[in-house]
Amino acid sequence: MDAQLPRLMRDAVIDTICAAARKDKDILFISADLGAAALDALREDLPDQFIHAGISEQNMVDLASGLALSGKKVFLYAMAPFITARCYEQVKCVIASMNLPVTIIAVGVGLGYDHATLTHFTPEDIACMRALNGIEVLTPGDAEAAEEIANVAIADSDFRYIRLDRQGQAPLYNGSFKAVYDQGFGHIAEGKQVAIVACGALLQKAMAARDALAEQGVEAGVIDLFRVKPINGAGLTKLLESYDAVLTVEEQLLEGGMGSAVAEALVDNSVLKPMKRLGMQDGFAVVNGDRDTLHDLYGIDTPQIINAALKLAGKV
Amino acid sequence: MNINDLEAKAYWLRQELFEMVMRQKKGHIPSCYSCTEIMIALYYGGIAKVTAGQPDDPKRDRIIVSKGHAAMVQYPILADLDFYPKSELERFTEPGGLLGMYADFRIPGIEGISGSLGHGVGMGAGFAMAARQDKQDYRTFVILGDGECYEGSIWESAMFAAHRKLDNLIAIIDRNQLCILGKTEELLELGDMEEKWRSFGWEAVTIDGHSFDELMPAFDRIGKTGGKPLAIIANTVKGKGISFMEGRSEWHNRMPSDEQIAQARSELGMEG
Repeated sequence: MDAQLPRLMRDAVIDTICAAARKDKDILFISADLGAAALDALREDLPDQFIHAGISEQNMVDLASGLALSGKKVFLYAMAPFITARCYEQVKCVIASMNLPVTIIAVGVGLGYDHATLTHFTPEDIACMRALNGIEVLTPGDAEAAEEIANVAIADSDFRYIRLDRQGQAPLYNGSFKAVYDQGFGHIAEGKQVAIVACGALLQKAMAARDALAEQGVEAGVIDLFRVKPINGAGLTKLLESYDAVLTVEEQLLEGGMGSAVAEALVDNSVLKPMKRLGMQDGFAVVNGDRDTLHDLYGIDTPQIINAALKLAGKV
Repeated sequence: MNINDLEAKAYWLRQELFEMVMRQKKGHIPSCYSCTEIMIALYYGGIAKVTAGQPDDPKRDRIIVSKGHAAMVQYPILADLDFYPKSELERFTEPGGLLGMYADFRIPGIEGISGSLGHGVGMGAGFAMAARQDKQDYRTFVILGDGECYEGSIWESAMFAAHRKLDNLIAIIDRNQLCILGKTEELLELGDMEEKWRSFGWEAVTIDGHSFDELMPAFDRIGKTGGKPLAIIANTVKGKGISFMEGRSEWHNRMPSDEQIAQARSELGMEG
């Protein structure tokens, strides 16, 4: 791996699980034909704890239920579109309904598989997965966060959905993620006027927007909402109350996504704020292009974040 | 139990189920009656290892009725095994009662939730793999509906179980040839089930699922399949035991009239 590039979240997660699996034979890692550089060691060193389920996500989830009911700590691993919508019924019926300690690890959430387009996008995964009974939905923003989330998933087996970005993301936390884990969000850049709430890859764009906004006299802060369910509604609301306005941005359709979760938290805590949600909308176009191109097309790129923040701040 | 005793026990199970369902007028009698002998063979024929009063015995064989609408077939049996009081049968589907229309994994003796079709083979493969990894010799029995085999997930898991050589996994296909809207072979042909399972790498055998003389030897094949999981295609009659329900898809969840109830009781060997 090029040392210049940020560590991939999947490698951080798999290295962590692999280290734990060496000491705990009840940890099982099941892949539906998705690999990772870090996975090779697990496959070679712990062949009894690695299971290739086939390109058969339904089988993978049903299998996980029987293993979990037998006391195993099961980690499922696949491309995001196929470990969510493809086998949603299985997850609902045999994992959620029995609240089994199964960790679902999805790679390439949102628009991560940019050139693969529609079949590989997950513009609905936050909405559909957070609707499941008893699930925890986590989106690390960098490799450090991914590693810590994996540590928690190992130490405290539960029903979780972990949304990993496909591409490496620049470090955001520099050792401070563990301290904010229980809070469910990280206030990664402070501000006064506009709180920009995002998660995953779009945090980088939010941070870039914040810098540009500062040059234009708008003090924007950035909140990493890495745990969208169960959302820390009271804590998040308390923080958002210190801002004049709220801007959410996500690689999701607006219906039921992260922005919806933020709006729900504010409403449920009886706080009204000027608010704007940026996200994908019905009928979104499909083009060949990289992720930045798609962000621009869907109105969730840095310039659009800046523009929306300026509007909320009354500057345009 | 000898075969006469097993047959008597099958009568008993049909009677218990009939009374349980008629009390509330809720349930799926015909789907239970097609797999009655299968369940009796498993629980009373010395096939499955289960110990009365010990639903959580780690060495128990796991039994999953994957055709969840018929999981209630286990309820009288599990009460008979003292997994819960027999009075629970009288509270079937009632608020506060333990036993619901579909089997919940919180019921002692029910290994996993069912109701949605197509999950049992994968779940069973999970149990079978765990047994293998933990060096336990318990087996996992999965009762499938033939209509359930329309679900693609069954075949994903069938392929997986064969590849993993899970010969501690046994699927019994209740081949009653009916689903809700009619006959399987007319609606969407399932064809030669034995050949289908065999082609997926399973040992497969077809028997009369109401005959203990054929059921018991089929189970004798467990552990003698050269590492293959075992599929037993049990040809059955949906509604077996009540003449006007036998082979009639419309009785899937219909309730009989008072006269029909009297007739059914008579045919089941009960007092009118």
